[in-house]
Amino acid sequence: MYAEELTPRQERELVIGAEAGDVDATRKLVEAYLPAVVGVAAGFPDAPGVERRELVQEGVARLLFAARRYDSRFGTPFWSYASFWVRKGMQELVAELTRPVALSDRAVRSLALLRRARSDYLQAHSAEPTDEQLSSATGLTRAQVESLRATERRPRALEESLAGGAETTAVFGDTIVDPVAEQELEEVLDAIEIREVRSLADELDERERDVLLAHYGLGRPVRTLNEIGATLGLTAERARQIEAGALKKLREGLAQAAPVRLNA
Amino acid sequence: MTYGETALRHGALVYESQDEYVALTVPFLREGLEAGEGAVVAHTKPGLADMREALGPDAADVTFVDVGSTYTRPARTLAAYHELWVEQLKENPSLRAVADVQFGSDPSDWLLWAGYEAVVNRSFAHLPLWVLCTYNASGAPDLVLDGVWRTHPEVVVDGTWSESDRYDDPDRTLRALTPEPEPLSGLRSIGFGRDPAEFRVRLAHELVVEGKTQAKALDLLVAATEVANNAIEHGGGVKDVRVGRADGRFVCEIVDRGEGFDDPAAGYLAPRPGVGRGLWIARQLTWRIEFFRAQDGFTARLWL
Repeated sequence: MYAEELTPRQERELVIGAEAGDVDATRKLVEAYLPAVVGVAAGFPDAPGVERRELVQEGVARLLFAARRYDSRFGTPFWSYASFWVRKGMQELVAELTRPVALSDRAVRSLALLRRARSDYLQAHSAEPTDEQLSSATGLTRAQVESLRATERRPRALEESLAGGAETTAVFGDTIVDPVAEQELEEVLDAIEIREVRSLADELDERERDVLLAHYGLGRPVRTLNEIGATLGLTAERARQIEAGALKKLREGLAQAAPVRLNA
Repeated sequence: MTYGETALRHGALVYESQDEYVALTVPFLREGLEAGEGAVVAHTKPGLADMREALGPDAADVTFVDVGSTYTRPARTLAAYHELWVEQLKENPSLRAVADVQFGSDPSDWLLWAGYEAVVNRSFAHLPLWVLCTYNASGAPDLVLDGVWRTHPEVVVDGTWSESDRYDDPDRTLRALTPEPEPLSGLRSIGFGRDPAEFRVRLAHELVVEGKTQAKALDLLVAATEVANNAIEHGGGVKDVRVGRADGRFVCEIVDRGEGFDDPAAGYLAPRPGVGRGLWIARQLTWRIEFFRAQDGFTARLWL
């Protein structure tokens, strides 16, 4: 079902479902808004180094980001809200991919030398070389090695979703060449894999997860601690302790304090 | 290192161009590095690339963080930044950070994130952290810019750090920006049971009937347990639990027997000695939590 066919209530249900990590809702949300995302991508002029499918994939990621942020209470239609983030994401992607590499010719040669030395070391030792070892292998100073490696380092993402529970993501297969062509929209949808990325339960070991999820019937039939204990060869009390330990582990993971001394 | 009455120093820079952003933030970070402080740049990928280039060899000592998917809900963003500060403060005695705020295009967002900025002043007050929040002025509405002055004790103007003459008390700002909870009809009582475990069994049943995913159901069970434990410890016990749907979301109300509290920042204060962690945890795992005095008692309303 496309976006224009959704009632406001259906749209809200899909957005909330996607925000909650529901794979089915996420897929339907992407299906509904993919033509609009593709439309935004089509508005970007062709640029060397930027594939149309990359723009659409970024747009879909930003659509799902918008779903995690959108509050229907305020009455803004979802696409009016989300299109800003979709467009912004594509703009940032273009800026990233078309950015001129600000390296001198000498730095470019040094970087090539560094990459070869790293590759040789990896092949010989099956381990990542230190900056010291790269300096020794290339004749570059340690500072030069550090500076060149810094240009290649991908930034880490500031992760929110671990604390916020489930999250879904959408990734594309590699076979789609031009997702802007309307007749290929169905193929694009088929190529998108919606999968749940993570949940709080991933922080637990297998036994803790089994006890907790079984006791509360999450994703499996609900069972008493007696029944759970019997299955695991434990007493009900031991099962209760495992559950308490699991909850404590989740609690501590979500509330770690900084190692600072407070002023008196 | 101590700055005034709190360890935190919270400033803002509204920049007109990327050149201006780089010209002001790079010396700020370099000064910190020279003093032995840690350094963090939080921005979208293009912004990070600009900073990496401008910092040159110093970039090797800076942590770069992509915030392209951050700023979804205030409590979650606070928690994500806090996790970063905890990690950095394990390695450094104090820290300087430059963080570009993704404030969006919708007026409802601006108010929400102005509230976030206000509560940062309390949330991280105990941390030896000097954070410079940066705002791209291009297209930024007056409401956003006014919010910057109201929520940051210091603002960089024409390259100079100045006290904001419009800085307001964080609690007052947060209260003004937080809508009063509306009465909800259609919720039904499920009771608390004998103990938190029985409460979780009852609540889990409701969540399964609602068709909530396993992950989201577990989120609410953990969050509701924290709120219930708070009610038991500080509120004289749980009087009632009500559940239902509103605005498309699953809602759980926990009513206690106590007088309640009146702290708009409840649950937004990053963990530290002397501050309870239950509501901090609960806020991360829910869409929002409202606290109010209802006719039958002090109520925590959790939205999933």
